[in-house]
Amino acid sequence: MHEVSLVESIVTALEKMMEEEGWTQISEVRLRIGVLRQVNPEILSFAFETVTKGTPLEGARLFVTDVPLEYRCRECGQMWGEEDGLCPACGSPSRETLAGMELEIESLEVEENP
Amino acid sequence: MKKIVTLQQSIMAEDEKFAAAIREENRKRGLLMVNLIGSPGCGKTTLLEKTAELGGFPFAVIEGDLATDRDAERLAGWDIPVVQINTAGGCHLEANIVQKAMESLPLDSVDVLFIENVGNLVCPAEFDLGEDFKAALLSTPEGADKPLKYPYLFASSQVVLLTKTDLLPHLSFDMEMFTEDVKKLNPEAPVLLLDASSGEGYDRWISLLQERIREKRAHGR
Repeated sequence: MHEVSLVESIVTALEKMMEEEGWTQISEVRLRIGVLRQVNPEILSFAFETVTKGTPLEGARLFVTDVPLEYRCRECGQMWGEEDGLCPACGSPSRETLAGMELEIESLEVEENP
Repeated sequence: MKKIVTLQQSIMAEDEKFAAAIREENRKRGLLMVNLIGSPGCGKTTLLEKTAELGGFPFAVIEGDLATDRDAERLAGWDIPVVQINTAGGCHLEANIVQKAMESLPLDSVDVLFIENVGNLVCPAEFDLGEDFKAALLSTPEGADKPLKYPYLFASSQVVLLTKTDLLPHLSFDMEMFTEDVKKLNPEAPVLLLDASSGEGYDRWISLLQERIREKRAHGR
């Protein structure tokens, strides 16, 4: 059910942006979503269709790119991607999450008055 | 005329502005803010009651629930300043609502502001409220498999609290799997085992908070 919350946030942000930028329509929305966010693509599409009804985003095409996990070891700099705790090279528990947590609006296709 | 606009901005950009404002306000105040997240019935309010009983520092609470002010009533008995937010069906709290609720709390006279989020392991983890850290709560009857089922919460929290450990003898809770899974998701987060009936484990929770209060004060006020 968090897909609905996400779509509501997207619609609120984009409606505001449309008004500020003077776009007449948004025909395409591209998102980047990290795997750790556990977004179900089918539920997201359905939520998008439902929530955008009656808004200026109605009928817009939705594309989602999944972003895989990427960690970097703070000790030795090793990069790895599986959901595994310790650094596979040096065994350190200290790591940065570089990717996999994204919830991003990557780009839009918009219409504007010439 | 059609055109492509590249944004690369967070879906929650709007709400993150409120979260950033809260963080800045609390930095100036030197106030520690902790976001408690766990299922309905996992012991979030009990954790706050035990913290009032054993902590020895003043704190305030923002209670998030779909309906009723029962949690706020429970805490009022402890003389804790508390504001109840009813989300009327909303499954999580958002920073803009929290910011308004903070206005009615005496935040200059407390050391910690706890947010008891709506009981849910999914959405509350995704909305930044401007907290210093999230604490993930899991009660033993919920099962040891939950961290991997709800990875975002357990990966993004700075401490994991396993509650109701007094029930362990009656459950087939796989402690090894639980601690291994938490470590996979979040190798640096301490896992604290809490038993509210005997008070066991709370000393670590209280000293963790005291340390964070000291750090926060040293950088603010």
